[in-house]
Formats: sequence, structure tokens, C-alpha cells
Amino acid sequence: MLALRQVSAHYDGAIVALDHVDASVGAGQIVALLGANGAGKTTLLKAIAGMLPFDRGDIVGGDILFEDASLLGRHPAEISRRGIALVQDGRQCFRQLTVAENLQAASFAHPKGAAERLELVQGYFPFLCEMMDRKAGLLSGGQLQMLVIGMAIMCNPRLLMLDEPSLGLSPVMVQSVFDAIERMHRELKMTIVVAEQTVPRLLKIASDAYVLSRGRIVMHAPPSAMTEEELQKVYLN
Amino acid sequence: MLMFTLQLLVAGIATGSVYALIALGIVLIYKCSGVVNFAQGAFVMLGAYLTYGLVKLGLPAYVALLGAMILMAGCGMASERLVLRPMMKAPLVAVMTVTLGMLILMKAVCLAIWGPDQLAFPRLFPDGAVDVFGIFVTYNYLAAFVLSICLSVGFLAFYQLTPIGLMQRCTADNPRAALAIGIHTSNQISLAWSMSAALAGIGGALLASLNGLSLGLADIGLVAFPVIVLGGLTSLTGALVAGLLLGVLQALTDGLLTPVAEQFLRTYTSIYSAGALQQVVPYALLVVVLLVRPEGIFGQRGTERL
Repeated sequence: MLALRQVSAHYDGAIVALDHVDASVGAGQIVALLGANGAGKTTLLKAIAGMLPFDRGDIVGGDILFEDASLLGRHPAEISRRGIALVQDGRQCFRQLTVAENLQAASFAHPKGAAERLELVQGYFPFLCEMMDRKAGLLSGGQLQMLVIGMAIMCNPRLLMLDEPSLGLSPVMVQSVFDAIERMHRELKMTIVVAEQTVPRLLKIASDAYVLSRGRIVMHAPPSAMTEEELQKVYLN
Repeated sequence: MLMFTLQLLVAGIATGSVYALIALGIVLIYKCSGVVNFAQGAFVMLGAYLTYGLVKLGLPAYVALLGAMILMAGCGMASERLVLRPMMKAPLVAVMTVTLGMLILMKAVCLAIWGPDQLAFPRLFPDGAVDVFGIFVTYNYLAAFVLSICLSVGFLAFYQLTPIGLMQRCTADNPRAALAIGIHTSNQISLAWSMSAALAGIGGALLASLNGLSLGLADIGLVAFPVIVLGGLTSLTGALVAGLLLGVLQALTDGLLTPVAEQFLRTYTSIYSAGALQQVVPYALLVVVLLVRPEGIFGQRGTERL
């Protein structure tokens, strides 16, 4: 479904952020993207979503193929229309707008079936129903994460990428986030990529895992074959 | 005396509503791109000159006004596409300096075409006045007020209630999140520039119909900046209220304070004129408000997020 071939990326024309990354994601998989802070996870996801140019970054080599069509040089809005949604780190949503407006805005580029998807989102996260008229900025961290995932569902993606969805959340909330991820994978047939530092539950549900370090893929194996020791070695390196 | 004051108030509210219209455009651009557009005054001036030009071509006043508005929308979009979009990766200070350059350029173009002299602006509205409880409101003032308020309210309704308005608010709130859900943020910024220029252009034609047409109209930007800072820079309603307030204050200064000050100066000193005291008022007000409320009247504390 998604293939990265020798992708290299720079920031400000000089700082190397990705160094000849090869990776692939098959339809229906959950893929874990692991690595310490600054390993290049966010850069990799942003490169796929076409958002690097908006962060003073550039893809300087290689190719990114989604369903056999290159995504290089495409605008994020077009990539989103092709069926890729990115849940960015930091729970990026519109804090001055209401929850309802946030969800509505997320369906503009994908108007077909928006009403049904809104019901779906409310079914996944029932607490949102009571908060539709509240400003998103007033939600708690966990609620915001759910809202942002809900917004991604409104985009009706076939490939959903999440950047550190568990960061800064309580253990209970982390469990809810991963419940939602598993449900979307099972019920909505989404292919999912999750970038995290370490989450034992992610390693349980993922069928494939890549480990990034300093912009390179240093390990690629099914999570069951990865030992805690190996991971620690990479992280501390 | 009371009647005179009320008369001044009416004039002030009419001019103030036009200021509000112009300030709205600055806030709109600032909200969605973080750029303080110094060229807004030039849009005001250009809108007035274009209306003048179209009337001289023989178009009826209303058609000319509408035509100028459309031309200004195109001009705003062209500025964004040709000048600002290529600077996407440049620092904001550089972008703002470029808008200052645009101001100078547009002033020079108008100077080359229409010359430096004050021109008699064509009559957009019929002569005459309505009598409201003894206060005379000329059709000019009435039309400027009604048009500005209708446009401002119409624009706010568009911004708050329509899908495109929502996309505008998304782009203003969090461009990254807007990109991620498939909103073309750069197109939204183009749209903001064209709406802003169109509003400024109409504002310019209205001001010219009140005070005459000259290159000095571009200096209205200098008045509009205190207005938006007063309003809180990111608040559209703040821009409206501050615009009205400023118009009233200027009128009252001009009609009441200046004569008193001049009387005083002539009696006790050899200074004969207090000059354009009403031009000092916006800045004096700005200093006072910023001392008391650094975030502006309607601004939000700590709008910078981590």
C-alpha cells in the first residue's frame, strides 16, 4: 500500500533528518515506528503526509509511493484526499473552535458520507456528544487526543498515521487510545502506522515494526522478534 | 452646544465605521498569516482611485463602486500570489517589510497616473440630508455608515456561519492542523488577502466621498494600526468597536478640543494653531490602553501557545 524508497530529507537545506529510509506498509497492517526523541519518526510521517515544506524541510532524495502513485511534491490537502490521514503530535486541532466545528471542518475535504462518519465518531467517543458546543481548548489532554482521532476518522482515510498518540496521557487514557486504534483497524479496515517511543501494547497489536535512529532504519522485524534488550541498546546508542 | 456635539458624534460614527471596515481587513490577514499588512493603507487609496477612474470612464457610481471592489479583490489576491507566497519560508519581519514596499510602490503608481493634487471625488450619493431630531445627517455620512456596517456585519456572518468562513477560522487557528485535514491553507490566505483588499477598497471610496481624494488616503493605515492594536489584533469585533471609538474621538477632538486648545495657546503663548490634533489622538489612546491592557481591549492574554 505504502512504499518508501531511499527517502532522504533535510531541514533548512543542511540538517539531515532522514537518511535513505526504506520501508513498506501492506494493506490491513498495523505497523509500529519506534525510536527515541529526535530519531526522525515525526519527520518520516510528515514526509509521507507532504507537510515537510511547511516546516522548512525538504525531501532531497528517494520516492514515496502510495498505491503505486508517487506522493512527492504533492500538497498535503491532495494527499489527504487520496486517503492518508496524519494525527500529528501535540494534539493539533482548532482550540478556539467548538468540538462540532472541529469535526465539521475535518470532513470538508471528504464530504461523501460525512453524516454517517460523524455518528461513527460519536459512537467511538460518546463523551464528545455532550461537548459538541464546547471550545476544543477547554478539553483535557485525553479528550483532545480522542477528538483529534475523531477528526482523522472524519477524513475517511485508508491509511491512518498517528504520531505519539500516548504522549503525556494517563495510563487509562493510553488504553482508550489503543482500544480506538484496534477498533478502527478491525471495524473500519484501516491500515495504521503508529509512531511511539515505547508502548508494550503497541508491540502486541503491531504486525511489523521499524526502529529509527538518527534518521536511519536500524532494525526491521516483527515485534515478537524484538527483545526489550535490543530496543534499549538502540535507544541508548 | 449639545446639538453641535451630537452633530460631531454622527460624523465620528460615520468615519469610525469606515475605519472599522478597513481595520477588519488588517485583522483578517494577521489572523490567518501572522503578517501585519502595512500595504492596507495603499489598498484603501487604490480602491478610491479606481472608483474615481471608473466613474471618469462613464460608469454609474454604484457600478464603479462594485467594479472597484472586484478589482481590489483581484489586486489583493495578486499581491498574495506574486509577492507573499514565494516568501513562504522567509521570516515574518521580511514579509512585513515587503508589504511596506508594496505601500510605497502603489503610492508611486497612483502618483504617476493621477498626479499629486487633491481630486474632486465624484458624487456617489445624492446631496442633501435627513433631519433626525434636529441633527442633520448628510446622505454621504448616512451611506458611508450604513454601507460600512452592512459590509462589516455581513462579513462577520460569513466568517462565523459559512463553511468557507469555518475554513478561514481553521487556517487562522492552527495552519498545521488545517493542512492535515485537507484544507488548502495557502488558498485560504489568498482569499483572506482578496477579501481584505476589497473591504479596504470600499472603505477608501467611502472616505474619499467624505473627505476628498488624494494620495494622503494611504496614510489611513497609520490610523488603522492603533485601531487594531486597541481592538486586540486578533479580534474582529474588537476592530469594529475600536474603529467606531476612534472615529468618534477624532471628531470630538477636531470639533471641541482643538478650538479650546487653540484659544488657550493664543491667549498665553505666541503659538497660533494647534495643528492636526485629531491625528495625535489615536496614538495617545493607544499608549494609554497598552499601559492598562497590553493585550488590547478584546485581545486574549497569552494567545501564544506552547
